[in-house]
Amino acid sequence: MSKYLEKFSRMRTIIADNGGLINSIKTIYRTDELKSGRLVGEDGFGNKYYENKSYFMGRSRWVDYSLAVNLDYDASQVPPEWHRWLHYIADEPPTEAQLVKRKWMINHSENPTGTDKIYVPYSTVKPKVQAWSPPSK
Amino acid sequence: MLRFWPLRRAVQAQVPLTSLVRQSSTPAAVPDKLEVFIDGKPVYVEPGTTVLQACAAGGVEIPRFCYHDRLSIAGNCRMCLVEVEKSPKPIASCAMPVMKGMRVKTDSPVSRKAREGVMEFLLVNHPLDCPICDQGGECDLQDQSMVFGSDRSRFTDVAFTGKRAVEDKNVGPLVKTIMTRCIHCTRCIRFASEVAGVDDLGTTGRGNDMQVGTYVEKMFKSELSGNVIDLCPVGALTSKPYAFTARPWETKKIESIDVMDAIGSNIVVSMRTNEVMRIIPRLNEDVNEEWISDKTRFAYDGLKRQRLTTPFVRGQDGNLVATDWENAFIAVAEKLNEVSGEQVAAVAGGLADAESLVALKDFLNRMGSEALCTEEIFPMDGAGTDLRSNYLLNTGISGVEEADVLLLIGTNPRYEAPIFNARIRKSWVHNELQVGLLGSPVDLSYEYDHLGESASELEKLASGSHPFSQLLSSAKKPMIVVGSAILQRSDGAALHAAASQLAQNLRAKSGCGEDWKVLNVLHRVASQVAALDIGYKAGVDYIRQNPPKVLYLLGADEEAITKQDLPKDTFIIYQGHHGDRGALMADVIFPGAAYTEKDVTYVNTEGRAQLTRQAVTPPGLARNDWKIVRALSEIMGMPLPYDKIQDVRRRLGEVSPNLGRHGDVEEANYFKQAQQLAQLVKSSPSNEPLSPPIQSLKDFYMTDAISRASQTMAKCVQAATEAEKSKY
Amino acid sequence: MLSSVGRNIIWTAKQQFRSLHKTSAVCSDHMFVHRDTPINNPDVKFEFTPENRKRADAIIANYPDGHKQAAVIPLLDLAQRQHGWTPLVVMHAVADMLKMPRMRVYEVATFYTMFNREPVGKYFVQICTTTPCMLGGVGSDVILQAIKDNLGVKVGETTKDGMFTLAEVECLGACVNAPMIQINDNYYEDLTVEDTNRILNDIKSGKMPKPGPQSGQDWRFASEPKTGLTSLTDPPKGPGFGVRSDL
Repeated sequence: MSKYLEKFSRMRTIIADNGGLINSIKTIYRTDELKSGRLVGEDGFGNKYYENKSYFMGRSRWVDYSLAVNLDYDASQVPPEWHRWLHYIADEPPTEAQLVKRKWMINHSENPTGTDKIYVPYSTVKPKVQAWSPPSK
Repeated sequence: MLRFWPLRRAVQAQVPLTSLVRQSSTPAAVPDKLEVFIDGKPVYVEPGTTVLQACAAGGVEIPRFCYHDRLSIAGNCRMCLVEVEKSPKPIASCAMPVMKGMRVKTDSPVSRKAREGVMEFLLVNHPLDCPICDQGGECDLQDQSMVFGSDRSRFTDVAFTGKRAVEDKNVGPLVKTIMTRCIHCTRCIRFASEVAGVDDLGTTGRGNDMQVGTYVEKMFKSELSGNVIDLCPVGALTSKPYAFTARPWETKKIESIDVMDAIGSNIVVSMRTNEVMRIIPRLNEDVNEEWISDKTRFAYDGLKRQRLTTPFVRGQDGNLVATDWENAFIAVAEKLNEVSGEQVAAVAGGLADAESLVALKDFLNRMGSEALCTEEIFPMDGAGTDLRSNYLLNTGISGVEEADVLLLIGTNPRYEAPIFNARIRKSWVHNELQVGLLGSPVDLSYEYDHLGESASELEKLASGSHPFSQLLSSAKKPMIVVGSAILQRSDGAALHAAASQLAQNLRAKSGCGEDWKVLNVLHRVASQVAALDIGYKAGVDYIRQNPPKVLYLLGADEEAITKQDLPKDTFIIYQGHHGDRGALMADVIFPGAAYTEKDVTYVNTEGRAQLTRQAVTPPGLARNDWKIVRALSEIMGMPLPYDKIQDVRRRLGEVSPNLGRHGDVEEANYFKQAQQLAQLVKSSPSNEPLSPPIQSLKDFYMTDAISRASQTMAKCVQAATEAEKSKY
Repeated sequence: MLSSVGRNIIWTAKQQFRSLHKTSAVCSDHMFVHRDTPINNPDVKFEFTPENRKRADAIIANYPDGHKQAAVIPLLDLAQRQHGWTPLVVMHAVADMLKMPRMRVYEVATFYTMFNREPVGKYFVQICTTTPCMLGGVGSDVILQAIKDNLGVKVGETTKDGMFTLAEVECLGACVNAPMIQINDNYYEDLTVEDTNRILNDIKSGKMPKPGPQSGQDWRFASEPKTGLTSLTDPPKGPGFGVRSDL
């Protein structure tokens, strides 16, 4: 019985951490899961990074994508400095151990596949048919 | 049932079937034939046949380079050597007539060794550049050296002098020459002097120094020059536009029909990756034998330029704006809904196919309009286009070979229908055909009697006071060919009537049978006969007199009717495949398909319906023409009752049954009735000279939307213009 | 065992040599295509002289109607004699005269080597160097050298004054009196170096040396024996000689 009580109280804590029942439902709707953890930091895009060591390794660090992208979140929205923390490549998040910013580094941008900024290779082949273009007046 | 020709003939001729049966059951008189033995197998052949032909009759193909069915026998390549029993040496089978009881051994050691020897000598001076040779894959030398050559080489270049090298000749923008590859078969020379009638090619020098060429640098000035490419058994003469573009084994061959003139030459379209790579002739003894004109062969690059790939609608600012089908159809439908049915008219151009013609006619008839015209004019007085015999080349293209006197009136067949002209020349060479020409004195590549330039000579001919009329009236099978160019004139009806009168008189005098037709009309565009069969009015006079609110141009690019002829607010729809003259004046453009891009019917000047086959897909948003009309009819809420090409063909068969019988000529009759009606024509011909518009080679190359877009044809015009100034 | 190895070695060695001899192909030093030059282009004027015109008409009249083209070789020869050589315009004139395609005349003119498509000197010296002439008498090599020394030109060249052109030709059919040269239409046979020099010097000085055999010139007409006739000494018999009387 106490097992169920414990689960229930953890659920209450998580719901409370997520800002109430309504916000929790919204979070489930958006991310398909509900977790609570320590806010480690936030990147320039508005993505929030959490850690909760009581989850096992692999699930203990996660990102809550910026609300600005709504449901169009994508793993490539995580900038590289956070990526290395999120994937357990580094122990310290960039908030604690700043990466050296070199001058050749460009700003991070997400993968444009599926968007209208998608890269389309131009044809190097001469068109087989040359279309007529009407003379303008 | 009518597709089965003996039955059809029987029904049409109203001959009782029994007579047919009786005819076939009587044994035909067996002509005297010689018995010869090919590899021990007896074969019966006509006397005078060559050994090579006898071998072919016996099912043995003798290798050859210089021998060609349609050219004179040269006998200089020696590849066709075979052993004949009791002959001390192998004989050249192409030049040797058969003798009674001859025993030919085509595969004996002597024959094989002779071939190997000849092949070795040929290869001593032939470069081994097959990997960079355009003939590779369709080269007689390649094939025959594989089958009949030795399996090893004895060629050693111990003196390091290299093989014989010959400088290349420049014979114009169509034929590329690599003369080092030439094996001196002289096929091109014989073709030029016998078929094309242009003695420009020859051999110079002798022995090891002999070369084939023109001696002086000059263009091979012939409208049939491309055929030497097919004739050349090696890669010495190849196609310049096709050079280094494709290999024969990569391309897909589609058998189709040409639309550059009204002959309807049978062609093979070579396609690779949805692109027409080249066009070569296809054998059809009744139409083009195995020749095609240069325009047919080389204008295909025009199919890739200036194409309409998307619909256009004229915007507020007066510019044509590219759009999609939906917008274009809506723009047209709105306009069509504004006007009443009889205010719509259509003009069909020279490249329109029978399917789109019938679809457009059905559509406009449903709208309530009868104003369907063709760009080409044909006199409507007298019988006009009501009787087919009036506007067909009734004798047929191959019929020229039976004629004994030919009268050409106001036509230049050499450039209006080069293949027909080649037939006339063939008949002139072999059957002593007498040719008289009434019209401008032009070079027809054979000799003819020039009868004068004005139509008054025609009256003289009819009355018998002209010097040529004696020859005409003594003819057993006379033939009159009227050029469609002079029928465009205002006195066309009178000219046609006069020609018809003359033909009728000749028929009476000559005593030729009922199946011999005298009067012929030679058309210049591919669509005309089909359009007239379907019931289009010839000429745009009707539209000029009753200006429409909406004008539908179906590939009409010759400016028979221009914006100046129409009220300012006329809405013009152009449907076609090239951005040419017609597209410029249009308010809405529907992109259609060219002849290599659709399965459609064309009817040639003989009245022979033939099918083109789709080789490539129409570019961009362009669509098959009859489907466009069908789609528009659906938008207008009066859908045409056909969804499939078979349904359209059925409809074509309803309108005119001959349009459904592909490959067949539907013979026309009622000459007498046509002539009686022609007497109703009261006007008389004017005395203007009967000069056809195309007089010289440079005018031949660019005559329609496709050839006008072709760069190859532009180069030809330039080269022909320069060649006229040449002193050689 | 050893013998088979030996045979193998010999066999392999034999494969390295072929029993085939090949000399390089001999080509003509003339071109068989036309190139415009200042003296040979379609604008050069050429016309038959009235006298030659008459002669040409007579030649053409020899051939039946429809076969007038057979006159092409005599006419080309006539034209070459008038003009000295056969440029393009000469071929054109003949083609126009016979109403035949120009190409057919080019074919004839390039086939026959005696139509000179390059200009030649006033005296066209042709020396035969075929085997009988090379071997007979003093040999054509010696004569050729003598001519070269005398005229100061090499084979195929024309002297600076335009008088002589030297050409090496194949058999001219006078083998019995080898060696020989042909100067224009005349044969000079039985040559020695002295004869050759005399002939050339005579021509240079404007005299015309007597053609024919150069030894025994006073009485020899052609290839008679130098010691006098040994046969056929009687005058020729008339027709019917030795024939049966009843025929």
